[in-house]
Amino acid sequence: MAYEVVIGLEVHCQLRTDSKLFSPAPVSFGREPNHSVHPICLALPGVLPVLNRRAVELAVCAALATHCKVHTSSVFARKNYFYPDLPKGYQISQYEEPLATGGYIDIPAGGDADEGDGKATKRIGLTRIHMEEDAGKSIHDSEVTGRFATHVDLNRAGVPLLEIVSEPDLRSPAEAAVYLRTLRSILRYIDVSDADMEKGNFRCDANVSLREAGAREFGIRTELKNLNSFRNVELALGSEILRQAEILDDGGSVVQATMAFDPVSRRTRVLRLKENADDYRYFPDPDLIPLVISDADVDRIRDELPELAQARYQRFQDQYGLSEYDARQLTISRELAEFFETAVAAHGVAKTVANWVLRDLREALGERELEDAAVTPEQFAALLRLVDDGKLTPKSARGLVPELVESGGDPEAWMRERGLEALSDTGVIERAVDEVIAAHPDDVDRFRSGEQKVQNFLMGQVMKKTKGKADPAAVRELLTQKLGA
Amino acid sequence: MPDSRPLPSVGELRRALDAGELSSVEITEASLERAESIDGSLRAFTGMRSEGARGDAAASDARRVEGKGLSSIDGIPVAIKDNMVMEGEPTTCASRILEGFVSPYTGTAVGKLRAAGAVIVGRTNLDEFAMGSSTEHSCFGATRNPWDLDRAPGGSSGGSAAAVAAGIVPAALGSDTGGSIRQPAAHCGVLGIKPTYGLVSRWGLVAFASSLDQIGVFARDASDAALLLGAIAGHDERDSTSIPEPVPDYRAAQTGDVSDLVIGLPREYFVSDGVDAGVLDAVRAAVAVLEAAGAKVREVSLPHTRYAVATYYLIATAEASSNLARYDGVRYGRRADDPSGLSDMYHRTRSEGFGDEVKRRIMLGTYVLSAGYYDAYYRKAQQVRGLLARDFQGAFRLCDVIATPTCPETAFRLGEKTGDPLAMYLGDIYTVSANLAGIPGVSIPCGQSSGLPVGLQLLGGTLAESTLLRVADAYQRLTDHHEARPTAV
Repeated sequence: MAYEVVIGLEVHCQLRTDSKLFSPAPVSFGREPNHSVHPICLALPGVLPVLNRRAVELAVCAALATHCKVHTSSVFARKNYFYPDLPKGYQISQYEEPLATGGYIDIPAGGDADEGDGKATKRIGLTRIHMEEDAGKSIHDSEVTGRFATHVDLNRAGVPLLEIVSEPDLRSPAEAAVYLRTLRSILRYIDVSDADMEKGNFRCDANVSLREAGAREFGIRTELKNLNSFRNVELALGSEILRQAEILDDGGSVVQATMAFDPVSRRTRVLRLKENADDYRYFPDPDLIPLVISDADVDRIRDELPELAQARYQRFQDQYGLSEYDARQLTISRELAEFFETAVAAHGVAKTVANWVLRDLREALGERELEDAAVTPEQFAALLRLVDDGKLTPKSARGLVPELVESGGDPEAWMRERGLEALSDTGVIERAVDEVIAAHPDDVDRFRSGEQKVQNFLMGQVMKKTKGKADPAAVRELLTQKLGA
Repeated sequence: MPDSRPLPSVGELRRALDAGELSSVEITEASLERAESIDGSLRAFTGMRSEGARGDAAASDARRVEGKGLSSIDGIPVAIKDNMVMEGEPTTCASRILEGFVSPYTGTAVGKLRAAGAVIVGRTNLDEFAMGSSTEHSCFGATRNPWDLDRAPGGSSGGSAAAVAAGIVPAALGSDTGGSIRQPAAHCGVLGIKPTYGLVSRWGLVAFASSLDQIGVFARDASDAALLLGAIAGHDERDSTSIPEPVPDYRAAQTGDVSDLVIGLPREYFVSDGVDAGVLDAVRAAVAVLEAAGAKVREVSLPHTRYAVATYYLIATAEASSNLARYDGVRYGRRADDPSGLSDMYHRTRSEGFGDEVKRRIMLGTYVLSAGYYDAYYRKAQQVRGLLARDFQGAFRLCDVIATPTCPETAFRLGEKTGDPLAMYLGDIYTVSANLAGIPGVSIPCGQSSGLPVGLQLLGGTLAESTLLRVADAYQRLTDHHEARPTAV
C-alpha cells in the first residue's frame, strides 16, 4: 500500500545566555560537576525562581524570526514528575499559554538544503514556541560511579531552553532533516543559540505517523525521543516508517507510544505506551507572575533582529548579481555570508569572490566551521587581488588557500616565502615554450594537422616546466604564436 | 511554676534600652532563661540559638553605646517560625524529612530583621510544613497553649504564638497560608497580622502553598506589630510575586482616631450556627467599642463565603503536592537507609519522612491536579477564588475594614480534632478567604470566653495594613484585653 508519511518535530535548543533561566548560576559547558549551581538550581527549601530577562529577549527573537505571534501575556507552568536530576520534582515550562504561536519557516523544497535549486520552497508551520528549563544529568556509567550508584550533575539544571514545535507538515525523513538544518541556520543567524547537536544544545523529538495516500485523517503516531544528530533523525524516522508500514501492511494498527532509537542496530523500540504515560499534573507556577511582553518590546526586538537568510539570499541576487544557487549557498550560514560580503567590499568583484569562497574556501574548510578558520575576509580578498594583478597564478593561489585557512596571514608574504611569484619574465617563458616544442615534435605535428586540443597538453607541459608560476595567458599567446609560425 | 518573668513589649524594652536601664544582653538572657524554665512544658521552640543570640545582643549593645543603633528593634529578641531559613542554622519545618538540613543562605524577612538589629533567639514549633491548625502535627511533639497546657495553641504558627503569649519573646515571625498566624494568635491571646500577599518577601520561607503563603508578625500590641512589620516588609527582586511599592510608616499612622472609618460586618460570618456564643459576644462588644469611638458600622455581604474552605483546600493541597516534591532524599535532608533502587528510595524516604497530615495533603493535591480532574477541581477552585476576591472588592467599596471572629471557637483540647481532619479544616472558615483574596488580616485579643482568649479579626483591602494596625491600636488604647496574661506558665 502507498502511505503518506506525516512528521512533526519538537526541537529543544539551548538559549545563549550567561546565566540560567530562573537562577543566577552561570551557564557553562564542561565545568566540574555541580560547580555551576546556586540554591535555586538545587531546589533548597525556601528558594524562588526569578525569570532571566535575556532569555526572554532571545526567545522573542526566535519567535519573530520564525514569523510567530508573540503573546502579550504567557504563563509558566509546572510539569511535575520525579527524577533525581530534576531537583524541584517539577520542570518549569509553558503549557496552556506559551510565549508564541502560529509561525512558519520556509525550507528548500526537494529535501536537500545544500543542493536545492534555491527557488522552490515549502512552508512548514510552527505550532508554538515556548521557554522551559533543562534538567540536570544523571550519570549511570559504573566506570565513574561504581557499581550500584548513579551520580547527578546539576550544572545543566535550569539552563534555558526554547521548545519549537512544528505542525505535522513534514513528509519525509529527508524533509525533516532539511527543516532541522534550516531551523538551526535561523537560530544561529539571529544568534540566540549555538544550536550544536553534538553539544546537546539542539535536540529533537519526532512524531511520526502514516496514512493512506490521499487520506485526510492522521494515522496513529509514535514519538521518537532524543534524536541527537541530523543523521540519526533521518535514520530513526526511516526505520520507524518501515516498522509502521509493515504493521499496517499486515492489517495491524500502530500503538501510540514513545520510542527510542538505537543508532547501532538502527531500530526503534518502545520506551513506554500511551496508557502508561506520565500524568504531569501541569498547573500555572504560583511562584511566577504571567510574563508580559509589550508591543513596544516586541517592536524593539524586531528592529534589532539581524537580516535573515531568506532576505539575504534575495539581496545577494539583487545587489551582487549572483545566481540563485550561489546566493543560496552563500547564505547557508550567517558567518559565511558575512565573510563573503566583507571580502567583496575589499576585493570589488562579487562573482570572483563568490567562486573562490564557494569552491576553494569551502573545500579547504572541509568539516570545520568558518569560525574556526584563521583567515580573515580581507586576507582572502588580498589573495584574489594577487591573482587579478597577475602576481600569482590561479593554481598557485588555490594551493595557498588551505594554509591561509589554517594560519591566516598576509597572502603576499606567503607567496614570497614559497617562491610562488608568477613568472613575468617572457624570456624564461619563451625558453620553456621552445624546449617543450622541441621535446614533443609529434604532438606539434598533430596540432598543426588540426588537432586543436593538443595545445592544452603542450600548455600543461610548459606550466609544469615553470612549476605553475607562468602566467597562463602569456604561455598560450607564445604557444599560438610559435606553433602558428 | 518557675520564677522566670515574662518579657514586656517591644515598646517597653526599647524604652528601657534607650534609658540605659537594660542591655540587649540582659534582655536576651532573660528571654533564654524564660525559655529554659518554661519551654520544657510549653514546647514552643524546636531549637534555641543561644550562642548566636548572645553574640548578636553584645554587638547590638556596642552599637547602642556608640549611638549607632540600627532601628527601634535593634537589640530586641525575636523568634522565627521554623520554616524560615537562616544561614548556618537548621530549618526543620517540624518534619523528619529535613533531618540534618542546615541552610547555606538567609531568607529575606529574617535577613531584614537581622539587618535591623533584632536578636534571633530561636526557631518555633509548627505543624509539619505549616500544614495544620493546632501545632500538634510536629515531629517535635505538640506545642501547648500557655492558657491551658491541655489545649492546643492553634496553628500552624502555634510555637510563635505561644512564645509571645508566654513572654519568652516580645515578638515573633510566623507564616499564614489559611489562618496560620491569625488563628493561633486568637487562641493564645496575642496580636497576629497576615499582610497583603506580596508585602513580605517569601524568599527563604519554605513553601507550603505558594500563592497563599505570607510571612507576618506576632506581637503583644499593635504598635509593636507596626515596628516589626515595617522592618520585614518591602519589595524583593528575589520574589517575583513581591509588590514593588514603598513601605509606609505603620507606626506613624497609629493616630488613635477611627472616626473616619466604616467597619463592615459580613452577614455570612455572624451566624449563630457553629459559632461559640461567647466568641460572638466578645466580637460584637469589640465592634461596639470602635463604634463608640466614632467608627461607623454597617452590614456587608460576602456571598461566596461558604465555598471558601473547599476552595482553599483544593488550591493549597494542589500547590503543596508540587512544592513538597523536592524532598526526595537526593540532595539534602533525610534519605531512607539502603534503598534497593530509585523507586524504593523515593517511597521509603517520603513514607518515613512525612507525617500523616502532610501525606494526606500531598495525596489530595496530587488528585486535584490529575488529568481528568484538573478542570473539575483546580480550575474551578481558581474561578471561585476570583469570585471570593470580587466579594471583598465589592465589600470594600462600602467599608474600610471588615470585622469578624478570627475563629468560631476558642482553643480546643489537644487531640480533640486530630482524628477528624474535616472538623479541623472547618475551623479555618473565617481566615482562609483573606489568603485566597490576597488581602491583609489581623487578629487581636478582644476578651475571653470561658477563660480562654477570643480573637477579633479585622480584614482590609490590598495594602491596607496601615488602616488595620491603626484600628487595632485605637482599640487597644481603649481596652486592656491585650494586657491579659496566660496563667498556665
